[in-house]
Amino acid sequence: MTEAVSLDPITIEISWNSLRSVADECFLTLMRSAFSTNIKERHDHSTAIADSKGRLIVQAENALPIHLASMSGLIGFILEQYSDSLAPGDIFIANDPHVAGGSHLPDINMAMPIFDGERLLGFVANIVHHADVGGASVGSMSGGLNEIYKEGLRIPILRLFRSGEVQGDIMRFMLLNMRLPDERLGDLNAQIAAVKLGVKRIGEMVARHGAGHLVALCDEIVSRTNQRMRKAIAGIPDGDYSFTDAMDDDGLGTQDVRIALTVHKTGEKVVFDFTGTSAQVPGNFNMTLNTTKSAVCYALKALLDPEVPNNQGIFDAIEIKAEQGAFVNCAHPAGVAMRANSCQRVVDVVLGAFATALPDRVIGAANGANTSAVFAGTDPRTGGSYVYLETLGGGMGARATKDGKDGVQVHITNTANLPVEAIELEYPLRVEEYALVNDSGGAGKYRGGMGIRRSIRPVDHLCEFNGVGERFRNRPWGIFGGQPGKTGQFYLLQDDGSVRNLPSKIAGVFVTDETMVVIETPGAGGYGDPSERAPEAISEDLRSGKFTENFAAKHYRRAERT
Amino acid sequence: MGDWVIGVDVGGTFTDFSARQLSTGRLVLHKRPSTPHDPSDAILNGLQELKKKAEIDGEDIARFAHGTTVATNALLQRKGARTGLVTTKGFRDLLEIGRQVRPAIYDLQTDAPPPLVDREHRLEVAERIGADGTVITEFTDAEIALVVRRIGELEGLESLAICLIFSFLNPAHEERLAATLRAAYPDIYVSISSEVHPEFREYERFSTTVINAFLQPEVSRYMDRLSAAIGQAAPNAALGIFQSAGGLMSIEQAARFPVRTALSGPAAGAVGAAAAAELSGIENIITLDIGGTSTDVALIQNGSVGTSNLRDIAGFRIRLPTVDIHTVGAGGGSIAHLGADGLLKVGPMSAGAVPGPACYARGGDKPTVSDANVVLGRLPSRLADGFRIDADLARTAIEQISAPLDVSREKAAHGIVSVAASNMARAIRAVSIEKGQDPRDYTLMCFGGAGGLHAADVADILAMRRILVPRAPGILCAEGLIVADLQENYVTTCRCPLEEANLPQIAAAINKLATQAEEWLSVSDDYIVNRCQTIILDLRYIGQNYELQVDLGTARHAPDLPTVEALKQAFFRQHETAYGHYNPDAGVEVVNVRIRATMEFAKQTLTAARPDGKAEPVATEQIWFEQTGFVPSPVYQREQLAEGTSLFGPALITQFDTTTLVPPGWTIRVDGAMNMIMERNND
Repeated sequence: MTEAVSLDPITIEISWNSLRSVADECFLTLMRSAFSTNIKERHDHSTAIADSKGRLIVQAENALPIHLASMSGLIGFILEQYSDSLAPGDIFIANDPHVAGGSHLPDINMAMPIFDGERLLGFVANIVHHADVGGASVGSMSGGLNEIYKEGLRIPILRLFRSGEVQGDIMRFMLLNMRLPDERLGDLNAQIAAVKLGVKRIGEMVARHGAGHLVALCDEIVSRTNQRMRKAIAGIPDGDYSFTDAMDDDGLGTQDVRIALTVHKTGEKVVFDFTGTSAQVPGNFNMTLNTTKSAVCYALKALLDPEVPNNQGIFDAIEIKAEQGAFVNCAHPAGVAMRANSCQRVVDVVLGAFATALPDRVIGAANGANTSAVFAGTDPRTGGSYVYLETLGGGMGARATKDGKDGVQVHITNTANLPVEAIELEYPLRVEEYALVNDSGGAGKYRGGMGIRRSIRPVDHLCEFNGVGERFRNRPWGIFGGQPGKTGQFYLLQDDGSVRNLPSKIAGVFVTDETMVVIETPGAGGYGDPSERAPEAISEDLRSGKFTENFAAKHYRRAERT
Repeated sequence: MGDWVIGVDVGGTFTDFSARQLSTGRLVLHKRPSTPHDPSDAILNGLQELKKKAEIDGEDIARFAHGTTVATNALLQRKGARTGLVTTKGFRDLLEIGRQVRPAIYDLQTDAPPPLVDREHRLEVAERIGADGTVITEFTDAEIALVVRRIGELEGLESLAICLIFSFLNPAHEERLAATLRAAYPDIYVSISSEVHPEFREYERFSTTVINAFLQPEVSRYMDRLSAAIGQAAPNAALGIFQSAGGLMSIEQAARFPVRTALSGPAAGAVGAAAAAELSGIENIITLDIGGTSTDVALIQNGSVGTSNLRDIAGFRIRLPTVDIHTVGAGGGSIAHLGADGLLKVGPMSAGAVPGPACYARGGDKPTVSDANVVLGRLPSRLADGFRIDADLARTAIEQISAPLDVSREKAAHGIVSVAASNMARAIRAVSIEKGQDPRDYTLMCFGGAGGLHAADVADILAMRRILVPRAPGILCAEGLIVADLQENYVTTCRCPLEEANLPQIAAAINKLATQAEEWLSVSDDYIVNRCQTIILDLRYIGQNYELQVDLGTARHAPDLPTVEALKQAFFRQHETAYGHYNPDAGVEVVNVRIRATMEFAKQTLTAARPDGKAEPVATEQIWFEQTGFVPSPVYQREQLAEGTSLFGPALITQFDTTTLVPPGWTIRVDGAMNMIMERNND
């Protein structure tokens, strides 16, 4: 063993910067060398460095909140299953949520150990959302599947590289079970290149400063972040805070899936107790405990200290209680593909619970969904088949000092839309409207953000529509007297003006040119009593046309209007 | 015919002038405080001073090249015109939704800025062009009359953006509406999206057009004032405005497309850097332009500055070719503080110009990077431009860091400059890795007021071995202006699979642009030595959402289109360079066709003052280094360093507005171009 090294606050900052640089360099390298649009354009990937105990030390600057806990989950399992035989040049791969720390199957994790001679110093890891990992439907992200086996290929922790040698049989087996194997191989190679680069870079750091320096640095990073988080937690008034919300349904008949939370806060300790939450559901909206942890950490960080770096120090500052088999701690063989919707709701619940404790920082319920729409069919211009998938933002909750943001991705997701002109050039579809939904933000001293409407008509062909929405029945609530925002909806609008409403989880709706598919995402909740809304703000709501006279008449007393 | 070329760069604090006589190569520099209320004041007064100083007759000024921050500042301060927008029915919120992303993932309180056009000033019209450019919904005269009337009802409108879906494929509707509106409201400026940015992706096109409209009244008025003023002071001068993409454009173009000047200043700096490095025969450089509040970094490969097609300024999206510059919030005025985790942080808060660092004695009391440099002895007590430094105030400020950390002032100060350098190094790493480049293969070129003080620290972190300190680091932007070519960029969308059958369509698109380019290239000017067109195709794999720009070569007239196979091979090579792989079997498609037309001026070797004799130190300063503590170090004046001079660190070299630190272990020498090359000694 090397002797203990002690580091000063200047050296720590500079070395921490170097470590962040390594994670960022891995992130960019992965992005550059990946094959799929999902990585190159949407950047649905994360990179990180962990220490020898499996603690998350740094995440790349642009890493995603939903990937936060999944990475250390993977490394925990590697240490449990392989610690006797770990060797330099090994690379591990996994995706399974139930036995390998994953959060849903398309997210494939990879990790490579860092050695200094014989001594294990840590791991370089990354996650990539692959565009397909097999299973019942293209994209491995379809709703309505009642067990994980249908969602795609399950990969336990496998040693893909043994001392630098790729295990071709493992690779062939995986690729055979995935659609678009060439693209998969391209993305997997990008992941491999990124972990190797990270291990090389850390090796250079160790050569310069010594292994003891790195070990001490990891301890400092985790303990300082942990102290920073605990100090922030200590600022929350002690007490028990409860909140409950419900998801509309699981797409397979279970209605009103309840998410119940009581936060126990004493001193620097905070426990998130999900007792009372519904049991896991047949539909694939379930969350593993790691997924729930990511959502809780996101919410706490957003409330207390958005700048706090992502590492084990945050995890160590909180405790989560959730029964195995609950919706937020699901057990095998629960399906999980649509868990992003559930994450959004857990975030809403955490914010709701802290309302009285942190009134200046919480916000009204956001659109609480990861609304997705899929259009598929045969392009009459080319005769080829097409699939167009998109996720849509909606309202963001109102805040203590200002209105919620209109038409935006919220909380754990931040993916860009596809341009209207790109859709129409690419697919036989016409977008007739892309707009904010009038009156969709909940009234309040500060109003909630507005939902988005996208109206799409097929051109010269029969088109299949599939959609997954949430908050079609359970409205995004307001706080401190703020009113709830409008629900989302899917409906078909015929040219003769007739309307057919669709459920929130819907597959296999066929439409032709005479029909427009209308997708409306939920708005968001208001903040504070509507009677306190400034007259100028009400005038602005009306002048901008975002809210109707009827809405204002209903929610704001006439006397307060200018 | 006059033979002086004058470059003027307007910065936040100073307006810099660089004048060159083409017949002799003589160079004269000048500097005066900027006048933010009307930048043309400082330009005009400075020009008179410069004429007097260098005995230039106004009649002898052939060209006047200008880098402007008028557009940038109007955007940053959101001080532009009251703007209206007319768009296709169903899309008035598009400008507001943007790409539906938020700027900071974890921050619940930070939003993208509200759009530049209020919602009630966004009007919809019933019309529609389809994805193949055909009319799906006719734009009736009645509908046009209606919107003309509604615009009349909007109060105080100064400018209008017309942004219709698929107008880049078929501009007829936009053009009809623009003509009618211009006739009805001659006082309102009208920008149309098919002219400002005729490319697909409606949000980016709309946003770019709206920014253009927002800037147009103010920039036009400024260009008018400038034109009148220069007309008097230099009646024969051709006026060129530096554009964000590099190169000069006419003052009329600048008034029509002000959005193209949004990054005028920094772009001139990068071009100046490339030109200065070329004189020393160095082609691959990473620039480090350290100012008061921020540092700009750019990668220059094979002598040319990269451009990117997408840029956010103050949260507003501009999709136009722009010199690719990355900015970090670390500069001389960046404030050091202890973070929530007890660690030393530098920036992004800055003391700015007012109150400025503590050592400026203008009321600032926060410890800044400049104060740290003073404590370490890296800044002489009186700067070369006569500015006085108060070292006691700097020491007192640094105690805010050294006391809680329980270290010496010097150790704390050294920590501050080291953390700042590590922030800058992180930005450089990102810029080079994004392009697949290793910084160790590059020369670090430092400029800006503080570049020379931190270059060695940054180079150390990145293991870069060579640093170039240009002859006039503080005035490089103005230098970039006088060496700049005239440049004009043309683009049109031409989306089709890259197949034999589509070659005529692609060739037609190129011809359309080439006709415009030829007309522009036909102006006469005795000093233009080369006129050329570069054809660029934006290609991508079918089904992908990102394009690569494939350069088809440069010639006087647009060259013939290569074969499909040759184009594909060129695309594959580019894909390999950018991403490390390519798929020879996947289909490729064309998205846009571009032409960059350039007129080059005769390049002159310059004859700056060339001292000779042995360099003698003018003073000795105690400079603090980590390994040794304070060491007496010689101070030299740059103007006295002759070609071939070689100095070993530690040393300090001062000049007009910059100080360069040569740490122990580094050697600096003056080369034939009067640039200084600093290299790490072999250990």
